Amino acid sequence: MAQKGLSLSIQTVKALSKRDLYSTLRSWGIYVVAFLSFIASSFILKNYLDSIKADDILISADPLNYPLFVSVIIISFYLAILSAISISREKDQGTLEVLFYGPVSSFTYILGKYIKDILTYLVIVVFFLVYFWGVSLLTNLGFSYGLLKTILVSIFSVSCIISFGLFISCLTGKMRNSIIWLVGILALFLAIQIGQSILLGMPEENMSPVLTYLGDTLSVVSQGINWISPFSYLTRGIDSVYLDNTLLYGLNILYSLAYSAILLLLSIFILKRKGVKG
Amino acid sequence: MRKLTIFLTITIGWIFCLAALSLAQAPTLREQLVYGLNVFNGKGYGGGFAPYTEDTIYLIADKDNTISANITLVYFWPITGKYVAGFQALNEKVQGTLEILQGGQVIKALKKEDNTLYYPEGYWGESAIFYQGEEAHAYFEKFTQAIEEYYKQISEFYTAQTEYQKNIDEFLNEIKERRDKGEEFTIEEIEKSIPREPKQPAPPIFYVTAPKKDYVINLPLGRYKIRIRAEDGTIVQDSEKELVTFTSRRTGGTGYEIIPGNRWTRREACDDPSWLIYAAGKNTLYFSPFIQDEYNELYYNKLLDPQNPGREEKWRWVHIQAIKDVTLLFSKGKETLQRIVRVPYYVEQIPGPELGYEIVEFNPEEMFDRQATFEGYKLDLAPTLEKASYEINLEKREGEFFQGGRREVRLVKKENTQSLYIFSIFPLLVGAVVFVTRRRKLGS
Repeated sequence: MAQKGLSLSIQTVKALSKRDLYSTLRSWGIYVVAFLSFIASSFILKNYLDSIKADDILISADPLNYPLFVSVIIISFYLAILSAISISREKDQGTLEVLFYGPVSSFTYILGKYIKDILTYLVIVVFFLVYFWGVSLLTNLGFSYGLLKTILVSIFSVSCIISFGLFISCLTGKMRNSIIWLVGILALFLAIQIGQSILLGMPEENMSPVLTYLGDTLSVVSQGINWISPFSYLTRGIDSVYLDNTLLYGLNILYSLAYSAILLLLSIFILKRKGVKG
Repeated sequence: MRKLTIFLTITIGWIFCLAALSLAQAPTLREQLVYGLNVFNGKGYGGGFAPYTEDTIYLIADKDNTISANITLVYFWPITGKYVAGFQALNEKVQGTLEILQGGQVIKALKKEDNTLYYPEGYWGESAIFYQGEEAHAYFEKFTQAIEEYYKQISEFYTAQTEYQKNIDEFLNEIKERRDKGEEFTIEEIEKSIPREPKQPAPPIFYVTAPKKDYVINLPLGRYKIRIRAEDGTIVQDSEKELVTFTSRRTGGTGYEIIPGNRWTRREACDDPSWLIYAAGKNTLYFSPFIQDEYNELYYNKLLDPQNPGREEKWRWVHIQAIKDVTLLFSKGKETLQRIVRVPYYVEQIPGPELGYEIVEFNPEEMFDRQATFEGYKLDLAPTLEKASYEINLEKREGEFFQGGRREVRLVKKENTQSLYIFSIFPLLVGAVVFVTRRRKLGS
C-alpha cells in the first residue's frame, strides 16, 4: 500500500514538473532572459579585453568566472520570480484547488515546482556551456576547469534561490504581493552584498567617517544574512573555486542542499497550513 | 526667520569647531607591553611587534626566531589602521623567564640568549643565517675584524693614493723636462716607467648584526601559549599570548614576477601553476623566476606583521630564492620559438611626453657608475605572432625542465570584441526554433 502511494506520488511529481517544464520551454521568457544575461556578460568581457589591451597583460586562472556570476544572478532572479508567480497564479486562478482534488498533495506540488525550476536551470546550464565555450574560441580567454566547477556549484546555489522563491510564494497570498516581496527581499540582499564588497574594496584612507560607519554597518548586516540570503551561497561557492579549496567547495554544496531542503519543507508546511485558497 | 538664521549660524560654527578640534587632536599614547619580533620568513629574517590588541603570534615551525618583551608607548595611526610603537620614546626591557605552555602544561622555560644575524650577501641581501650563544659572538668578532681590516686597508690606500699623486706629478714633470731637452720616448717606455695607481680595497660583502639578548624560540608545528614569569615568581601582566607555529603546504614551486615593458614599475605575479598569462601582443615581458613555498595566507601575513589581515582558507606563494642558471623557453606546441637567457637591464629615464623611460641591456663597462635595475628573461611578443596559446618553461639542461616552471601564455583576440554581442543572440535563435517547431506541430 505504502509502495503504491509512493509510486503515485512519484508519478504526480513527474507529471506536474513535466507539464510546467514544457510550458516554460515553450514560452519566450527563458530565452529572452538568457539573451539578456549573455549581453551583460559580453559587456563585462569586452571591458576585460579592453583592459588587457590597455595594460597588455592580465594574469588570471578563470577570467570567465565573473561574467558567469553575473549571468547566474540574472537567471536565478528570473527563476525565483517564475516559481513565485506559478504558485500564486495557480492559487489566484483556482487551478491549485482543482489539482488538490486529484492525487496532488502539498508535498508533490512543491516538489514538482522545484524539480521543474531545477530542470529549467539545467537547460540554461547547456546555454552557459555553449556561450562560454564560444566566447573562449572567439577571444582565446580560457574555458577552464575552474569555470566548470563554478557552473556545477551554481546549480546548488540556484537551488537555494528557487526554494527561496517557492517559500515566499507560499507565504504570500496574491501574485502581486509575491512578486513585490520576492523582488524587494532579493534586491535588498543583493544590494547589501554588492554594497559591502564595494566598500571593502575602497582604500581605508579614502573613506569618509560616514562611509566607514556604513561599511561597518553593512559588514554586521551581511554577517547576519550570511546564511539567510540565497546569493551568499553562490558567492561562497565561487570563493571556494577561487581558493581552490575542495573541502569548502564540498561543504558549500552540502549547505546549499540543506538550505533548499529546509525552505522546501517550510513551503510544504505553510501550504498545508494555509490551504489551497490561502 | 532671524532666530532660525542665528540658530543655523551657531550650529554650523559649532560643527566647524568640532572638526578643527578633531584635526588638531594628537594620537593617544598608551604604555603597554608589546612583543618585539625577529622572525624567520622563509627566506630571511624580518622584524615587527605584536601590540596588546593582537592575541596571537605566528611563527614558522622548527626555525629559530627571537622575541623580546618590552614596555613601550603605543598609539593608533588611522592612515594605516595599525598601532605604532614609539620605541625611541620608551623601550624598557621586561626581565624574567618566557614560559611556553601546551595543553596547560609548561613545556619550556626560556632565558634570554645572545643572538645575531649573519647576512652572507650583505645587509640588503635576502638571505640571513641565525647564530646564538658563542657562535653569535664569534661571527660578530669575525665581522668586526673584517671591518677593522677594511679600515686599515682604506687608510693604507689613502696613503698610497697620496704617494701615487706625488709620484705621478714628479713623473710628468720629469718627462716634460726631458722632452724639453729634446729626448724622445716610445709609448712602451712611458707605460713601463709610469707610477701605478693603487687599487681601492673592497669592503667585506657579509654583514653581522651586533649580538643582543632575546628569547630564542624554535618549536615544532602546533598551538602554544606564552607568558613571562617575573623574577619574583609572578606572571607579568599582559604577557600572555597565543603562539601558532605553522609550516608550508607546498615547497619548491616556481613563481614568476613579470615586468611589462610598457609599465615597468607595476610588476605582476604569476605564482600559481593554474594561472594563465593573457597578453594583447605587441609588448615585451621580462620574466624573473623564483623558487617559492606556499603558506597559509593568514598565518604568513601575521608572521610578517601581527596586525596584517588575511584569510585562513587562502594560501599564498612566497618567493624564496631567484632562479638564475636556466634558459627560458617560449614555445608553441612542440616547437621552441625563442630560447632566452637571463640578462641584467637598466631603466634609463628619457625626457619626452611618451613612456618617459627606456629599458636597455645593462653594460657594466659603459655604465660603470650605475647598477642594473633588474635582471630577467626578455620575451618579445611580436605583433605578427598568431593569436593562440603558447607556453613558457625553464630549462636547466637540454631536455631537463625546472619543476613547476610551465605557464600558458595566451594572446587574446581583441578584434572579436564586437562578435561577443552577436554571439549572445543564440538563446533567442533556440527559442525561435522551439516556437516554429511548436507552431508547425499545432498546424499539422
